[in-house]
Amino acid sequence: MIDKSILLDDKTFTVGIFDDSDKLLNAVGTLKKKGVKIFDCYTPFPVHHLDKALGYDRTNISIGAFLCGLLGSLTGFTLAYSMNVVDWPMIIGGKPQDISVFTSFIPVIFELTILFTAFGMVILFFARTRMIHGIKEDLLSRRQTDDHMVLAIDNGETQDLSASEIQSLLTSEGAIEVDASRTSFNTSLTDEEELAKQLMTT
Amino acid sequence: MYSADIRQPLVTGGKTYSDVTADICRPIENKPTNSWWLGFSIGVVLLLVLAGTLAWTVWEGIGTWNTNKSVMWGWDITNFVFWVGIGHAGTLISAVLLLFRQKWRMSINRSAEAMTIFAVFCAAIFPLFHMGRVWLGFWPLPLPNAFGSLWVNFNSPLLWDVFAISTYLSVSLVFWYLGLIPDIATVRDRATSKARKYWYGFFAMGWNGSAKSWGRYEVVALILAGISTPLVLSVHTIVSMDFATSVIPGWHTTIFPPYFVAGAIFSGFGMVLTLLLIARHVMNYQDYITTEHLEAMTKVILLTGSVVGLAYITEFVIAAYSGYEYEQYAFANRMFGPYAWAYWTMMFCNLMAPQVFWSKWARTTPWFIFVISIVVNIGMWFERFVIIVTSLHRDFLPSSWVMYHATWVEVGIFLGTFGLFFTCFFLFAKFLPVINMAEVKTIIKDKE
Repeated sequence: MIDKSILLDDKTFTVGIFDDSDKLLNAVGTLKKKGVKIFDCYTPFPVHHLDKALGYDRTNISIGAFLCGLLGSLTGFTLAYSMNVVDWPMIIGGKPQDISVFTSFIPVIFELTILFTAFGMVILFFARTRMIHGIKEDLLSRRQTDDHMVLAIDNGETQDLSASEIQSLLTSEGAIEVDASRTSFNTSLTDEEELAKQLMTT
Repeated sequence: MYSADIRQPLVTGGKTYSDVTADICRPIENKPTNSWWLGFSIGVVLLLVLAGTLAWTVWEGIGTWNTNKSVMWGWDITNFVFWVGIGHAGTLISAVLLLFRQKWRMSINRSAEAMTIFAVFCAAIFPLFHMGRVWLGFWPLPLPNAFGSLWVNFNSPLLWDVFAISTYLSVSLVFWYLGLIPDIATVRDRATSKARKYWYGFFAMGWNGSAKSWGRYEVVALILAGISTPLVLSVHTIVSMDFATSVIPGWHTTIFPPYFVAGAIFSGFGMVLTLLLIARHVMNYQDYITTEHLEAMTKVILLTGSVVGLAYITEFVIAAYSGYEYEQYAFANRMFGPYAWAYWTMMFCNLMAPQVFWSKWARTTPWFIFVISIVVNIGMWFERFVIIVTSLHRDFLPSSWVMYHATWVEVGIFLGTFGLFFTCFFLFAKFLPVINMAEVKTIIKDKE
């Protein structure tokens, strides 16, 4: 397996763990207002307005999708035109076989537009999010894909507030657990007994 | 967000986030139940029937079917259109209802999409094997021809169909897989065995649910829904053009595209209800697939059933009004000819039976909905049979009039596709989360 730790490698984080998406959203708002730089949040489901609260811009992936779709349209047209008009016109029932039959190329052009858009966009998404089969996951909490939401602050980042102030802010915002130095881990253990032991403790 | 008090909760039973995870991961993490084994075994037996009858068709030739020079399309294309139609509900639920922001879709979209994919697998078998020499099944692809520079014919609706169905299958697969990734990651992080850890880890592609990923993910899902909507409409439109662009009386009508699309949604919802009512009962998902969900789906059945019924009547009136005797004869022959029993079965199942859903009791009584969903499935099969066989068996030349009855091979292949469908579905229910956990967690506090 490929080790994913491209984003989280060698970093230690201050994490606040929440069990409610509204509390997480409020905490992000409060921390941002106090000038704390938040690294990212990890949630088991999409929390609405979280990306806005974190100050992320809307992704440009739709532009990529549009370009892929355009490529698909061109491919469809080129395919039909070059095969049925340029290379080997099939004259059936004496009907013309030139650009005037463009309308019967439309279904193929349309389908290829959709096909290229879907695949192009999803591939772009995987590339941008650094996802590929066999990659190891970077987790900060074992339950971040179940019911816990993690707010992560990079300890390497210089903050206006002191570490203890940030921690007490997280607690006052309703974090059920605050950890001052957590590194990312993945759950792919080789020893099944060790895995079972770890599951018992979490 | 404001919601009126008359709205019912989308998920009942006061579930927490971890309850959702535990409930939906239970079938994956535990040994299969007896009812799972029963269903799966029936599926596998029918799958063997499929393998046997297909092998016999290939070995002995297409003459094992009763299709002939007048009725050159029989059960095979009937079944093809039947299965493609069933597939449409999955895309409709996940894409069109996403665009319309219908939150009730969230607990049923995963299984409906799975149904789409398996139904398209089943559908693809029929045209492929009807070619006779199935090993030359790649010939409809736009590949350079080994015998000269002859290419595929881009003016033919049959070629459009090749593009439409293959695009539909691959885009549906992508959409389904993308939706599965966060849930696969959930299963991965709960896994207790090395094998499960490895395989779910492999397919989760390192997903960790960061806010950045979710932001992109939601945009990608929205665009996929946006492009899947015209796609699903185009697929059955093109299937209908296989018929409508010909000059056969009974096929040569411009009403076919909208009529086929409505029929596809109708039959698809029929099959979704059949499957979900079983799944909900066997897996105890009554809190997730509530009577509210069933009611919403029966309303779609009622609407599309009425649209289809309107199309039947319009078709008939247009034929009567056309002044074209062949067209008039084709419709009179449907109603009163030797296949009248099929026509009236279709009319009863598709036009009349769904009208019971005007009653609130009918819309909220699971066993009754189950009965009607089976009736709808039967009716929609007969619709395709009526369109294909009654239009072909008596054409312009009375000397070529024939009757068509399927052989045991054709019946076997059709039953066998149910085996393929149910085997796939039971495997899906065992190894993947049947309900979209990530989406359901966003609505457990919401109302309809």
